[in-house]
Amino acid sequence: MSSIIQLNILQFSLIYLLLIIVLAIMKRAKINQTKLLLLGTVRMTVQLVLAGFVLTYIFANPHPVFTIAYIAAMVIFSIIRILNSNKWLNKSFKIAVSLSLTLSGVFILAYFTLIVVGVSVFNPQYTIPIGGMIIGNSMTGITLALKTFNESLASNKSRIESLLNLGATPKRILLPYVNSALETALLPTMNSMLGMGIIALPGLMTGQILSGTSPSTAILYQIAIMIAITTSVCISVFCSLHFGYKTLYNKQNQIIS
Amino acid sequence: MSNIFTTSNLSINGIHYRDLQFIEDKITFLTGPSGAGKSTLLKLFNGMLSPSSGEVYYLNSNIAKLDTISLRREVSLVSQELFLFDLSIEYNFREFYSYRGLPCPTPETMEKFLKLCCLDFPLNYNCSKMSGGEKQRVYISIFLSLMPKVLLLDEPTSALDSQNSHNIFENIFCFCKENKISVIVVSHDKVLADRFSEEHLKIK
Repeated sequence: MSSIIQLNILQFSLIYLLLIIVLAIMKRAKINQTKLLLLGTVRMTVQLVLAGFVLTYIFANPHPVFTIAYIAAMVIFSIIRILNSNKWLNKSFKIAVSLSLTLSGVFILAYFTLIVVGVSVFNPQYTIPIGGMIIGNSMTGITLALKTFNESLASNKSRIESLLNLGATPKRILLPYVNSALETALLPTMNSMLGMGIIALPGLMTGQILSGTSPSTAILYQIAIMIAITTSVCISVFCSLHFGYKTLYNKQNQIIS
Repeated sequence: MSNIFTTSNLSINGIHYRDLQFIEDKITFLTGPSGAGKSTLLKLFNGMLSPSSGEVYYLNSNIAKLDTISLRREVSLVSQELFLFDLSIEYNFREFYSYRGLPCPTPETMEKFLKLCCLDFPLNYNCSKMSGGEKQRVYISIFLSLMPKVLLLDEPTSALDSQNSHNIFENIFCFCKENKISVIVVSHDKVLADRFSEEHLKIK
């Protein structure tokens, strides 16, 4: 196995030609999203170029502070994205969500790097990419769970109110929605495990193989990251919802959301 | 005669109530114009809402100091907007009772209360096939079967067909008197109020 072919800028820029095809098809299908396509491409390019510079610098000058700062930045941006997609959350709920993501992400990341791989948690080459996958997927899972939970509350208003009038406890009333939101958040990850490796190779493996890692090593990392992601999504969603839903009612057992 | 509910300097969300007394074991009708705060008052009585200022007393205890879950099990608010599962009558009884931590009532009990509300369906009849009025009656019968101390009815006639409603209320009110259940009815139906009310409070 050889190491990866380095792209020069000219070779690389040829890939952008493919977008002409996309633009042509979008125009033909009268899809008015040219602006979004261009904005998305530009932002992706700029953001990844910046990330590339930062990572190059960090790898050349490794220091625990840099690794911690990068992970902290990932966590903070993930929390901001979750909260922006879920503006309905009250303050205490937001705190529950933020802490759940941070603690579960960091714990699973530390377990992976320290115990499974066996390197220092401050090693940027391992911690940053793996952390990105764990935190990113947890963010997606939490966002999905919170949206599902909120939608089920909104569409079951008369049921919730009737059961409260009946003298049922808010816990008994809300818990089914909590559990089903958790299930909804876990399904995509578990379903993707079912088909994994049958046709397409997942992202982590692809990257490793392109760089010259032997497939037998690459698959071990891939399996491990899938389990790590599933666990982190599960813990962070569970904690977000189980601590968060209690903020929705007060001592008078009135639902205040 | 003792009071089941009294209010003192009560106000909530811009609505100010004069001091009210509701007598125990009576059928009380609460009438008044739209927006006067009648439904809101019922929700204050079962702890679904809390006052902005002033107090509400249930049997001489300040509601703000009571456990609202226990309160709601004694003071049943049958809201205007009902909810039933789209399954059988029996399932609905079972689920509602389960939310209360109680085992499913016997078929005899269920049939007794359905009959009280002039319903003649078998217990496995699917509620989604019923009319609005029939669903309302199943809903009332479930709450009534739990034998509360107080029954709060918020505009109960809005979904009932008027032919039946007087018979149904005759049954319900008779049952409540026999079992010493205090009843407070919010209703704009003058005829119903004139016929059945033992006490009549007006809110402006």
